[in-house]
Amino acid sequence: MNTRHRISRTIGLAIGGLTLAACAGAAPQVSNLIVLDWAGYELPEFWAPFAEAYPDISVDYSFFAEDAEAFAKLQSGFEADVLHPCSSWWGLYVENGLVQPIDTSRLTNWASVQPDLAAQGQFDGEQYFIPWEWGYESILVRTDLVEQVPDSWTDLWDPQYAGHVALWDAGEANFVMTAVALGFDPYNTTPEQRQQIRQRLVEIKPNLLTYWVDYSEMAQMIAAGDLWMASNAWPDAYGYLLDDGYEVDYIEPAEGRLGWVCGYGISSTARDLDLAHAFLDALLAPESMAYLIDTYYYGAANAAALEIADPDIVALLDLSDPGVLTRRTIFYQTLTEEQRDFMTSIWDEVKAAP
Amino acid sequence: MEQRQRVALLLGPPGLWLTVFFLVPLGIMAVFSFRAGSFGAERELFTLDNYRQFLQDSAAQHLLWRSTGMAFLTAAFCILLAYPLAYFLSFQAGTNRLTLLTVLIIPAWTSFLLRILAWKVILGSTGALNSLLLWTGLIEETAPILLFSREAVIVALVYVWLPFVALPIFAGLERIDRRLLEAAEDLGCRPWQSFLRITLPLSIPGVLAGFLSVFIPTLGEYVTPLLVGGVNGIMYGNLIQDQFTRALNWPLGSVLSLVMLFLVVLFTLGFGRRVRLSDLAGV
Repeated sequence: MNTRHRISRTIGLAIGGLTLAACAGAAPQVSNLIVLDWAGYELPEFWAPFAEAYPDISVDYSFFAEDAEAFAKLQSGFEADVLHPCSSWWGLYVENGLVQPIDTSRLTNWASVQPDLAAQGQFDGEQYFIPWEWGYESILVRTDLVEQVPDSWTDLWDPQYAGHVALWDAGEANFVMTAVALGFDPYNTTPEQRQQIRQRLVEIKPNLLTYWVDYSEMAQMIAAGDLWMASNAWPDAYGYLLDDGYEVDYIEPAEGRLGWVCGYGISSTARDLDLAHAFLDALLAPESMAYLIDTYYYGAANAAALEIADPDIVALLDLSDPGVLTRRTIFYQTLTEEQRDFMTSIWDEVKAAP
Repeated sequence: MEQRQRVALLLGPPGLWLTVFFLVPLGIMAVFSFRAGSFGAERELFTLDNYRQFLQDSAAQHLLWRSTGMAFLTAAFCILLAYPLAYFLSFQAGTNRLTLLTVLIIPAWTSFLLRILAWKVILGSTGALNSLLLWTGLIEETAPILLFSREAVIVALVYVWLPFVALPIFAGLERIDRRLLEAAEDLGCRPWQSFLRITLPLSIPGVLAGFLSVFIPTLGEYVTPLLVGGVNGIMYGNLIQDQFTRALNWPLGSVLSLVMLFLVVLFTLGFGRRVRLSDLAGV
């Protein structure tokens, strides 16, 4: 008698508890948020509003060094809540069902996100990725060591720089760069054009000192003077070398600088959508993004950040001119599997060529 | 029965280790080499295309031969440098041999990566070699000579592998019965004659063991070429690494790896007649 009574009371309490939990809704069911990210992006300054709103949720990072690595990791069953690939891979994530649409109405900072960048994260009318940081890729040059400062991507082939040029060891980047130098549309090439691109990349070898893999090592070689020019360098290397007093220029080639965007998506296996959206919103906050500009010399997806970021950096990199996003920069586009395949295999053939 | 149990106890753990971390992954790789893709539905499709692709890919084959040549040169230089060293240790060093042997091995205690990076510092334009050449007046301005070339890869690898070649040669020389040399001397042999007709032939198994223990790992090397190889120093291992980490073409990467494995097995079988396994262990 007594026992039965106790049991029914326990059940009653349990049901009551469940109802309460269901009503609260916002109370997170998990204790952490798993973020698959590039090393260097784990700074708490990037998501301070999230830490304020959810002090009990720990943000746990899993790092990757290459986009391909992150993609392989998710494809092999790694369960992340939020991930941070770059735009040329976004399509593949959507195609393979690895991400889910983002409800932008839940992002308070969405209104000031630059529409040209936001458009890159849209697939089939849904926003699958929010753009976060963007940056240029251009030629970084030691102006005190060269006789003539280059003004075109084709200058990388100029024999006057022989032995002092480095290309980035990345198939897609070199394919796109060479296509632009040859005046082709990198995303709409004929087989003959691809053959020409391959040929040009083989022909540049005598001009090269090495391929750069690690970007800080590349900056060191420029500082040491072994390298006069590095192709597809990022703005942060430029910024750091300037800060250290080196005479460097980050040219705007006649064909335009290349540009890349990376951003965050919500994994299709995300455990708590409220948390994931809140994290994305915190990343987009103007203060978070201004910190990004000031620390890494990258552009920010949120236009509101430009007003509070270091004005010198904004001016140095032309970040506030809307034209850099629309006209002056050739942005990497999302690749199909076929495009990715031939870009990487062309680069492999180039590297293996005698 | 008891003997058999003891053998099982001794061979069990390493056997299990080899099975789980070597044979099974090798099997997975062999299966992958017949698949159409790395993920999803394509992974379930059987195909021979990856092998066909390798057979048509002259660049990959060229790189394989070049890497074979580089591995051969590395092993050969190692032996040329290690033989006199081992000979001195075995015949001349006397009671100091243990100390000297330790000195020889000490560099191998530092991280492999650190030693390769040290070569970068030595060969770089502001490095030791440049400063020396500048000081002697042989060059007038610094340049990253040697660095970022095939030669730089070979120099760095020879340095890394030298102790591993010296040890089996040393072990081989130690095994030579000294009475044979005394007899030769008694019978009027000059020192160089007894070296050529007794010491050298008897030490050949140790030399071959040393050769293989450098040649095999060097053939698949990818870290050293990445760090000091530059444009012309890249090796077959870099191609394999690219397939797995960047191109995400695991099937082609598997084919490339298996082809290399096949080549290594062929070499080992060829040498196997002349080498005893115990020489590889340096005992």
